[in-house]
Amino acid sequence: MLTLWKDFVKGLWKENPVFVMLLGMCPTLAVTNTATNGLAMGLATSFVLLGSGIVNSLVKRLIPDEVRIPSFIVIIATFVTIVDYSAKAYVPAIAESLKLFIPLIVVNCLILGRSESFASKQPVHRTIADALGMGVGFTWALTFLGIIREVIGFGTVFRGTSLAIQVMGEWFQPWLIMVLPAGAFLTLGTVLGVMNYFKNRAASVKVDLQDSTGESCHTV
Amino acid sequence: MGKEKIDIKLIVVLTSIMIISALVLSLVYQATTPLINEHAAQAKKEAILDVLPGAVKYEKLEKGGLELYQGLDEAGSPVGIAFQHEGNGFQGTIILMIGMDVENQKLLKVKILDQLDTPGLGARMAEEEFKGQFQGKSFSDNFVAKEDVDAIAGATISSQAVSNILKDAIATVEQAYSGGE
Amino acid sequence: MGDLGELFGSLVMIFMTAAITNNFILSQFLGICPFLGVSKEVPTAFSMGLATTFVMTTSAVCVWAVNSLILVPLGLGYLKYVAFILVIASFVQLTEMVIKKVSPPLYKALGIFLPLITTNCAILGLALMIPMNNYNFIESTIFGLGAGAGFTLAIVLMAGMRERLEFADVPAALKGAPITLLIAGLMAMAFMGFSGL
Repeated sequence: MLTLWKDFVKGLWKENPVFVMLLGMCPTLAVTNTATNGLAMGLATSFVLLGSGIVNSLVKRLIPDEVRIPSFIVIIATFVTIVDYSAKAYVPAIAESLKLFIPLIVVNCLILGRSESFASKQPVHRTIADALGMGVGFTWALTFLGIIREVIGFGTVFRGTSLAIQVMGEWFQPWLIMVLPAGAFLTLGTVLGVMNYFKNRAASVKVDLQDSTGESCHTV
Repeated sequence: MGKEKIDIKLIVVLTSIMIISALVLSLVYQATTPLINEHAAQAKKEAILDVLPGAVKYEKLEKGGLELYQGLDEAGSPVGIAFQHEGNGFQGTIILMIGMDVENQKLLKVKILDQLDTPGLGARMAEEEFKGQFQGKSFSDNFVAKEDVDAIAGATISSQAVSNILKDAIATVEQAYSGGE
Repeated sequence: MGDLGELFGSLVMIFMTAAITNNFILSQFLGICPFLGVSKEVPTAFSMGLATTFVMTTSAVCVWAVNSLILVPLGLGYLKYVAFILVIASFVQLTEMVIKKVSPPLYKALGIFLPLITTNCAILGLALMIPMNNYNFIESTIFGLGAGAGFTLAIVLMAGMRERLEFADVPAALKGAPITLLIAGLMAMAFMGFSGL
């Protein structure tokens, strides 16, 4: 039970896919212009992560090593197509705003990375715990970035939904730059910088962010 | 993977994964397609009524080979026609639903049905601030961004693309009308 | 003549849009992983750019063929994602084998980057945009070429700046990924200037 809990919790903070491992950078930057988009993308990715993790973990014994990656990619692409069609059928508005980035979940390093380094070695129940943890970690990170960019860029949170809240008063002149591509880079860079600052101060073991970027995507 | 000898097992495994994947996807496709089409039809219906202020229903109208939708108000008298037209945007096709008043030679309202332009920039064409300006615009205007059309900041190409589609749509409809008489 | 001029014009437009105004990295967030990971030195960044351009152009052609000659006529559009990723993966593999046989020096320069390109989302993104834009054979090729050129431009520029950054006094907290992202943000802002063209 303790192992399962550990598998789950590590994704939330210590090995957070976005803030620590820097995985899945493309959607992280692209769809976090509003909190709703970030949340939706996080959930879609989590579903694929969980589904393909379970299947890959179940079939790992049947697949010879030589074709493991192609097989995993096909399984992942199948789940992504399921998400894409279901999103279009049941939540068309969200499918509309995420567009190209739902199919691009196929090549999200996070998914293939977890399949390779975790699901292909561990039993199903641990894979589920790991996928849930990573999924929740990815989702909260995207939603968090979405909230920052939306509040500064539009002055709202969850705009376009029934939950929409006007955060900033009338006096506030939205910074358009925050919802543009440049704002995505600046926001993530600043957030990582602030997190590093506190980490350094806490004098904990310094994670070398640069090296983890280089390797995590490329070992796959 | 650089092996010279190809193991038969590899082929069997990969092929069966593909077959299972194709089967699952065809089921998903069949289950979701009716819903997706329904959404599209619903969206089109709403768009037609949306671009024709005052209309409560509409009927299809064929004119000069064009498919037009004539909007009718509660009394059953025509309020204008809606016309779906598309053209190239900055990144992909932009599809517009355009409400026009052909008699008085002006646009009623424009709605963006589909576009792929940059989120936050060109994609803001769907916001009222931009598309609202076409309301009541005369057919004879120039439709040039930064002149008689206020462009979206940082997205002049997208703004001009929408203007071009509108101008083209007006020409198409006018030709259909003059050709029919 | 007029038609030819118009055709040429539209091809130039596709190329410039893909390379500059809609730069894959800086305005569409495609291919961020190699952009952050392989941009420490100019020569490696340039090789990565070349390898990516090569795969982009060739897989644009293959994807166009698979989509318009197989998937669309058979009504199998729902197998698009699976088919495209397989085309790309096998194509990368094939490219690797061919280059290895034909030109060992080129293989030495590009070889290590090729396998990484499969999971580069810029390639799949490009593949998905081709059917969305209804590009024909020539347009697809030019689109692939333009996207690759834009990718190379961005990654080489970034590598040039990061080489200088080695000598700069960056605050400890911003070292590594944060400062790279901040620079990318400034580059994205600079590239925004092109979109007003």
